[in-house]
Amino acid sequence: MKGIFSKKNMTTNEMFVVYIILALSLLIGLVNPAFFALSTVFGTARSMLITSIFALCEMVIIISGGIDVSFPAVASFCLYFTVSIMNNFHIDSVVFAFVCASLFGLVWGMLNAVLIGKFKIPALIATLGTSSLANGATLVYSGGREISNIPNSVDALSQKFLFSVANATGGKSALTVFIILPIVLCFFMHWVLKHTMLGREIYAIGGDANAARIAGINVMKTQFIIYMAAGVLTGIAGISNTILMRNANPSNLMGAEMMVIAAVVIGGTRITGGHGTVVGTVLGVLLITLVSNNLIMLGVPNYWQTFAVGLIIVIGTSITSLRAKKIALSPKL
Amino acid sequence: MEKLKKSLKNCDKNTVTLLGIAVGIVVIMAMITPDFLQGSNISSMAFQFPEFGILCFGMMFCMIADGIDLSLVGTANLSGIVAAVIIMSMGGSPVSIIIAIIAAILVGALCGLVNGYLIGQLQIPAMLVTLCGGQLYTGLGVAITKGPAITGLPDSLQKIGNGSIGGLIPYSSIIFVAIAVGMNFILKYTVFGKQLCFMGSNATASRYAGINNLRITLLTYMLSGILAAVAGIIIISHYGSAKSDYGTSYTLLTLLIVVLGGVAPSGGRGKVLGVALAIVILQLISSAFNILRFDSFFKTLVWGLLLIVVMVAKAIIQAHPIKFRRKLS
Repeated sequence: MKGIFSKKNMTTNEMFVVYIILALSLLIGLVNPAFFALSTVFGTARSMLITSIFALCEMVIIISGGIDVSFPAVASFCLYFTVSIMNNFHIDSVVFAFVCASLFGLVWGMLNAVLIGKFKIPALIATLGTSSLANGATLVYSGGREISNIPNSVDALSQKFLFSVANATGGKSALTVFIILPIVLCFFMHWVLKHTMLGREIYAIGGDANAARIAGINVMKTQFIIYMAAGVLTGIAGISNTILMRNANPSNLMGAEMMVIAAVVIGGTRITGGHGTVVGTVLGVLLITLVSNNLIMLGVPNYWQTFAVGLIIVIGTSITSLRAKKIALSPKL
Repeated sequence: MEKLKKSLKNCDKNTVTLLGIAVGIVVIMAMITPDFLQGSNISSMAFQFPEFGILCFGMMFCMIADGIDLSLVGTANLSGIVAAVIIMSMGGSPVSIIIAIIAAILVGALCGLVNGYLIGQLQIPAMLVTLCGGQLYTGLGVAITKGPAITGLPDSLQKIGNGSIGGLIPYSSIIFVAIAVGMNFILKYTVFGKQLCFMGSNATASRYAGINNLRITLLTYMLSGILAAVAGIIIISHYGSAKSDYGTSYTLLTLLIVVLGGVAPSGGRGKVLGVALAIVILQLISSAFNILRFDSFFKTLVWGLLLIVVMVAKAIIQAHPIKFRRKLS
């Protein structure tokens, strides 16, 4: 016990991500001094909001030895159908929006759980199928059109801020009230993973499902809980996204799975399951958000962005995988 | 008749089932609308399937090796874009087309080698590598084209995708058949094919048996990359232009076809004939939707549903092997 700054603490995976984030922030700040402002913090927090909810769900699923690529499609499904129902039946209630979206999410999560837990279909293939199903349903129903007419009381939420600060230039930067959602979720997930039986079971089935089963853990039940909870949270994230964007778009979340999985893996969660922390995942999301938001500031042309993000993901995931392999092969005391 | 029965018995059940499904679709569609059996529909089908059909064999080999290749579409588009850039910069002469095709195949092989190295040497899961790889290659394609499509490819190149022998047999479907025969040969009659199946069913056992797993992995993903490049060339010649987001729905489609074709997602087993039949079935379904004027979005939904249904059916059959064997025989 040498305190927080011991060598062991300074060389963890999370600390490496912190170093990279600091270096990157310095670099961006040197190129563009406007980066060091409260508005950047608010802007980054705002961009991280939805991604971090997705990432926390994805992290739990990856820890349990699975993977989920269906959440963008499920979130789009939830947000579009919820808004559509509310418009058609003239329901103008915030509670209804969230309950309805979570219920849709729950159903999709249950489908994933049945496929993966009951029928033992490889998680990637099962969720690819679910993704296609959910996305297809949304597109057929919507015809590809977006709804920009959000019920008033729900729409008003987008203008609720925790606090706002006036800029030197006279503008105003504000932090949306939705930021509470991922923050609460972070603490809750951390508590579940570290201090409850369920959390330990999730790590156990990710490490070795067979050993977990022999140790008396109901693997299928745990998987059902994980995927259904992830479904509910995905639905909530979807409707939050709609409120923040102030329209219900059936396809603008699609493709988010790449970034989210990358963020989770860069945050030190092993893709093979059994390892991962909330802190690491949040840091991973922060790094990916910083990179994708600020490449323009560094003078990277727009059309190089996909490649640059891809490269960072490949390098990041390779390093984490190599470190995991090294730790796995090192002698255990 | 006796001979036919015997050969049917020798055929595995999956192939027979697939054949039955294909015939069933044709019969049902012919009853609903006579347009389905018209020459124009059949020839348009023959033009459509080689693009994703060739990709399927890449996915199949990776899946037999207990991996997966989600970067096929990215690789195909990148190769196509490189070919298009070379052709446009050399003025579109026949020589430039040959150089472009060779360059595209080299690009595909290189993409595959990168995947194979990360999977085989660094032991990163194939799913993660190819998911990221797909993003990387697509990004490189975007960077080369700067966003918009490269248009104005010469007619001689477009003949590959749009030309046919006597207006009946498209060149692209001939390429497809040649590749299918070649893949069948590699899988059944070469040492590499046998070693691939061994490694896919049990990587540790194959290493102890003296098989160089790294070499097999590299070769598998390189082969997959080369097939993606061939598909990429057919795609650009079919559209007459190159862009980084053509065929994005093919990733799911190839996965669906390969699973439907009887390749085990856990590796080690798979037949070219099964996959080829699955390609035909999916093309039949796709054409049926076009004729019945279904929304193209509807296809996304059906592909997802089919993938889930096929996987669930396989899981149920696998869970109760004895019950089903008794029922079938």
